[in-house]
Amino acid sequence: MKISFVYIALIVFTLTSCVDNPNVTEEVYLDTYNPDSSWTNGLKRQLALTMNQVVINSEMISDNYFNNYTLYSKVFDTPQIVFSDLDVNRTQVEIGALREMAEYGIEKVLPNNPEAKDSDWSYTYFSKAYALILAGENFVGLPDDNNAEAISSKDLLLKSLDFLDLAIEKESDTNILLVYKLLKARVYRSLGDSEFAKQFANDIIGHTDLLYNVTFDGTNGVMNEMQNATFTANENRFAPLPRLDFLDPKYYNEGTAISDQKPLAIVKAEEAYLILAEVYASENKIGDVKTILTNLINDVIVNRPVVLIDDSRELRNGSNREDYPTEAVDIRFDHDNPFESGYVLDRQADKILVYTVSGTKVTTMDINNITNQDEALYLIYRMRQEIFISEGRRSNDLGIKLPVSETEQLNNSNISDEFTKAVIPDFIPLNLGLDDFSVENDSGNISITNDMNKILVTNKTSSLILPFN
Amino acid sequence: MKNKKIITLITLLLLCISSTYSSVVEKQKGHNAPNENRINFHLKDIPVKQVFTLIEHQANKNFIYISNESFLTNKISIDANNQTLEEVLNILKSKIPLDFKITENGILVKKISAIKNRRAQEKRTIRGAVIDENDLPILGANIFAPETNIGVVTDINGEFSITIPTTVKKLMITYLGYKSKEIALDENSTISLKLEQNASELDEVVITGQGAGVSKKRLSNHVETISAKDIENISSQRIDQLLSTKLPNAQINLTGGQAGSTSIIRARGINSAFLSSTPIFYIDGVRMDNLNTTSALGGGSSTGAAMSSIADIPMDNIDRIEYINGGAATTLYGSDAANGVIQIFTKKGSSNGTQITVSTSAGVVTPTTDFLYFDRTKDLLFKTGSYQKYNLSISGGNNDGFGYSFSGNYLNNTGVQIHDNNANEKIDLSTGFRAKIGKKINYKSSFIFVNNSYKRNRNGNQGGYTGLWFTESGASSNKGFNNRLDDLTSNEFEEIRAFVNKAEDLQDNQINVNRFITSQSFIYHPFSGFEAKFTGGIDSRIQNDQVIQTNEYLSHTSQRTVKAEGSINNVQRKYFGITLELNLQHKFNTGSYSFISTLGGQLFRNEDHQIQFNGSNIRDGAKTISGAAIKTSDEYLSEVLNYGLYVQENIGYKDRLFLDLGIRGDRNPSFGDNIGTQYYPKAGLSWVVSSEPWFSSSPIVNSLRLRSNYGLAGNLPPSFVNERTIDFDGFQGEQAAYFGQPGNPDLKPEKTTTYEFGLDASLWNDRVQFSVGYYNARTKDALFYVPPTPSSGFSKSQLYNVGEIENKGWEINTMFIPLKTENASLALNISVNTLDNLVVDAGGIAPFNINGFSARTIQTVVEEGYPIGYIRGNLGVFDANGVLESTTPQSYLGTTIPDLFGNMGINFNYKNLSIFANANYQTEAYANSFDQQFRFLYKASDDIVPEAEVIENGTSNWLNFTNLFTEKTDFLKVRTIGLNYNFIPKNNNSLKSMSLGFSVNNPFNFTSSSFDPEATISGSATGQGGASTGGISYATYSAPRQFITSLKFNF
Repeated sequence: MKISFVYIALIVFTLTSCVDNPNVTEEVYLDTYNPDSSWTNGLKRQLALTMNQVVINSEMISDNYFNNYTLYSKVFDTPQIVFSDLDVNRTQVEIGALREMAEYGIEKVLPNNPEAKDSDWSYTYFSKAYALILAGENFVGLPDDNNAEAISSKDLLLKSLDFLDLAIEKESDTNILLVYKLLKARVYRSLGDSEFAKQFANDIIGHTDLLYNVTFDGTNGVMNEMQNATFTANENRFAPLPRLDFLDPKYYNEGTAISDQKPLAIVKAEEAYLILAEVYASENKIGDVKTILTNLINDVIVNRPVVLIDDSRELRNGSNREDYPTEAVDIRFDHDNPFESGYVLDRQADKILVYTVSGTKVTTMDINNITNQDEALYLIYRMRQEIFISEGRRSNDLGIKLPVSETEQLNNSNISDEFTKAVIPDFIPLNLGLDDFSVENDSGNISITNDMNKILVTNKTSSLILPFN
Repeated sequence: MKNKKIITLITLLLLCISSTYSSVVEKQKGHNAPNENRINFHLKDIPVKQVFTLIEHQANKNFIYISNESFLTNKISIDANNQTLEEVLNILKSKIPLDFKITENGILVKKISAIKNRRAQEKRTIRGAVIDENDLPILGANIFAPETNIGVVTDINGEFSITIPTTVKKLMITYLGYKSKEIALDENSTISLKLEQNASELDEVVITGQGAGVSKKRLSNHVETISAKDIENISSQRIDQLLSTKLPNAQINLTGGQAGSTSIIRARGINSAFLSSTPIFYIDGVRMDNLNTTSALGGGSSTGAAMSSIADIPMDNIDRIEYINGGAATTLYGSDAANGVIQIFTKKGSSNGTQITVSTSAGVVTPTTDFLYFDRTKDLLFKTGSYQKYNLSISGGNNDGFGYSFSGNYLNNTGVQIHDNNANEKIDLSTGFRAKIGKKINYKSSFIFVNNSYKRNRNGNQGGYTGLWFTESGASSNKGFNNRLDDLTSNEFEEIRAFVNKAEDLQDNQINVNRFITSQSFIYHPFSGFEAKFTGGIDSRIQNDQVIQTNEYLSHTSQRTVKAEGSINNVQRKYFGITLELNLQHKFNTGSYSFISTLGGQLFRNEDHQIQFNGSNIRDGAKTISGAAIKTSDEYLSEVLNYGLYVQENIGYKDRLFLDLGIRGDRNPSFGDNIGTQYYPKAGLSWVVSSEPWFSSSPIVNSLRLRSNYGLAGNLPPSFVNERTIDFDGFQGEQAAYFGQPGNPDLKPEKTTTYEFGLDASLWNDRVQFSVGYYNARTKDALFYVPPTPSSGFSKSQLYNVGEIENKGWEINTMFIPLKTENASLALNISVNTLDNLVVDAGGIAPFNINGFSARTIQTVVEEGYPIGYIRGNLGVFDANGVLESTTPQSYLGTTIPDLFGNMGINFNYKNLSIFANANYQTEAYANSFDQQFRFLYKASDDIVPEAEVIENGTSNWLNFTNLFTEKTDFLKVRTIGLNYNFIPKNNNSLKSMSLGFSVNNPFNFTSSSFDPEATISGSATGQGGASTGGISYATYSAPRQFITSLKFNF
């Protein structure tokens, strides 16, 4: 009895005493065949996640969209930006993930795999560069390495150029090469380097259909969050500034949302035209500004696809303001301007036009009427706002930059206090002024409180905005 | 593989130790030093002459006999365990045909005739009945003859029948919670006994935390025991509801009214910021699933109202519950027991014959509308439901150690929500067996099967339409309704009623649980005083959670035409746990000292396998995803393995001073590579002052005990979180890799060190029971989910042992018996517990949320210098006119942990009638009413916010003065009021007894808050796998009222 008891106990103990991690450890992964392709695809996925975070927050912080949704930031609309804010941290986490994943690809995954393709190398360098660009455009500064010191936004942008050059070196696809060049133009613009900005932007002129998208995958849970916020979700999460109502939504789905996730543009030909126009404006070449902007409309924007969709369920019944227009009322850009029609759509009346890549209400006639630098700059920034809406660029144009997060500082002793304060230029109206408007009692017509493009031009000499001025 | 080797070695070691230990003990005993009173030996097949020599040596008296008698060479086996010479000679007489007479000169040995010897071998049967002070039969009382180890238990009528040698002169009768009684036998073969309740309970034997049975007085900690009799009267549907009124020093809050929703159980505060405070549960020594693993795939209708696995446990086959609340008491459970241990022992049959019990309960359930803001919400969402339960129990056994019990139950509760959206149907079957396998081995087993089905309503923060959010939070205005429900015209009300009625009708959320638990144990008694017990068992629990959203439902609730968005979401969680434990206990007395040595090893291995399979764009009417246009799935697997060895020594001096020492060592693959065995020591003293000779027994102080101890217990980190991983997902049709878990090679369990001291007293003829204790429990190396450093590239939080948490407080429990006559008694009890919880050190990491929403709304947060889970939100300050002047984000708005809590109860008995009531209370905790905040936002209420602010800013600042919506949550909740009447017919040939009961559950609530202070864990599936302190009241149903009559027949 005793002996059998011992054996039974031994067998049972032994059989039950082993557990194996069902997940793939780092060691195992690097040992598997061909990890580079899954890592490169992982970078594409991460880029989509990073863009979601950047775009939602940038659109909210700016005058583009007002948030009604509890689970998005309730303070970025103000804008109130502190380093302890969850969304500041989340944005930094997503940008950090893209940069570190690219770094891991460069340092560990690709070198260990001799069969790694040049295109994988190129995409990995691009990912690192783009993470640095997003960091430089949206943050006062960030570490450029794990637990490293924070470096300034300018230094981040300068570093991104090195990695764009490495990406170009490894890339053979001419279309992708143009994308990287346009990104260089964008970086030089941000750095205020008009010469190089012009040089690289000029390389793009003529390639009117250049478009580089971030793609999503609804089936695997990587949804285009801007599409969700502006179209898919049952509640009206994001309400646009009424003068931008005609551009909402940019992304939509037919059928189930998970099977129809629209891509989001991060590089498109329009930007080269706008950069050149801005350079010309800074050089006071009004004629050249007119020409390039007219070409932008006639050669690029008119050829971008538009579709008609049914958006009748959009009731703008957000919980914070009940006076968002749902009928086709007139608007004025601020109290000094006349009322204009066509900006606010009646979505219940008919199908609406969706500008899937770029749309603007600026006409060639408006462009022809430009007489001076300020008018040129005003139209350029209005077009930038309208063309880049829902792409996460506006808060950067307004000169707003996020601080390094509290979590980074607590976990990383290399972060000095100077990086923990947000930059909000003093001409930015606070207390929800960016998204504010008033409604006339009788007509329902709308007056936007602040025309931010006008305010930008007025403050064009500020070092925080309009980099060429 | 490495683990396998270690385990094999440990097992071998353990078994070797056990066999060598027992042989060493035998040798030691055989050569014990002579003692003038006591004799100890364990002898096997020894000639009688040699036995005489040993007795002479130990008793200091010689045998007087004729040296060539033939019996001297006969071989016998005999045990003596600290027994007197007289007792040993009696045993000897039963082995050989001799008689003895002790004289001054020695022990006279006389051969007895065969007839006389036969008489000694003759047996007699004693029959009788055992009743309590109210003349009610006691089921399960132990009747045994100490000299022979023969014993039986009483049946449902309190009756027993025991067959013993005619030489046996006395019987012992013991029963949990009652004073033991010794009966001297005379010629009568029928005896009747009345047992008195034992107020001091110090002699009660407990197992939990000891490995094997030890009397309470020997322990330096408090062990709470609940008997079957205590359980019988309360018509609780769930065991945690029952415990909430029965455990004086633990707080059990019912966090929601949805069927099967989880409860917050906390005893000595919150000692962990990463794990729920739910104790671990054992059934008959087998570790149960207590849902303390992450709900990794989320979703399902458990979102917002986490499930309770405790709700599955059948209530009708429980013999006893033991509860220890952490510290030294739980040290032998090692890395897994800092929150305490609740152990349930199931019934294993009665004595002779067969007993059958049939019972039925039926009644109505009504919604608890006390906390509804709008009177008319009740008409929109609730109805009166019905409750019925049927039970059949059969038990029996014989005098040879065989016993069995069976219990089957069917429960049907329609719930109080319209369209039976919260109905619960449960079928459970449980059996228990015990049997003697040979002379030295006893076998015990239990099997439990449960099928539990719940309908679930959309709850809390689930998004889209949820009934309470729509009505109580004012969200109906989003759908174009006037949200001030009590101001609606009858036409308007009918419109909204039609909308809600259809929305509720179209919901289809279902949770189904199938569970099987078994425990098998073998107890080996090779010789007196030694016991080896092997327990093995499994708990298998499969939970299927299904949410069906039809196009019709989506069209109706979103007020747009939805054609292709119908979906079915399934989450299946399969839990499989194995527990194996080997425990060796040796009891040994010598002179004034007594020793209980315990050595054991325990292993448990749990597998938590979660599978999600969803279908979307699915035709209305489908119940499976097979017809979906898009199908997605996901999987999560976690395996926990923990194994440890423990050793314990309990030393008694003159049966009044006890020293308790022990240590457990644990290993676990979840520990980091740099971490080896984790040790949990304990030491404690128990001093029964009233047993001291100088303590004069008085009617004022009947018994007095002082106790003090120090001990460690731990909480395990989840499996595999120590390793650095790469995660994968599909993306654009290909595999996408990305950083997974950062990993932590230094990961180890968090350890709670507890110091405590206490006093237990029984006063005024046991009319007053008083227990007071103080504890200080400090969790060092507390596991905090450290948010990833953004520059690291990781997006997942990683567990690090960086925190330190302190809980301290007084635990006071008293019971008064102001009235005690032959026919009537009145007992009152009250417990008072103070609690001081503090995060002493957060290891420099940023404050983190455990159970709230986002930082911009409201969170319950862990931060250094504050209690765990305090409410953090925006603090608004108003100017003299009542307009918001400033707002400070992320401010302290109040603690969610009460600083005072306890139970109270009253029990009145008159003859066969008993009336009882009990209640729970707490003070000085806070919670936020997110419902109220939404009501303000949606303009459904003019309360709380100053009018000037509304005129100036409308509702745009609704999240900027969350402090206005935070309220104190003092409460006194009466849990049960009930009565029971027992009827015993004079002619009880067929029907032996009958009892009739009536009870009301949750009848009265007295609260300082405008909302239900318990229904505060909305937000996510918290309470499962994560720390949770409550604190946010948001679209959560309150536990309903139940009015239940019950009828029980015993045949």
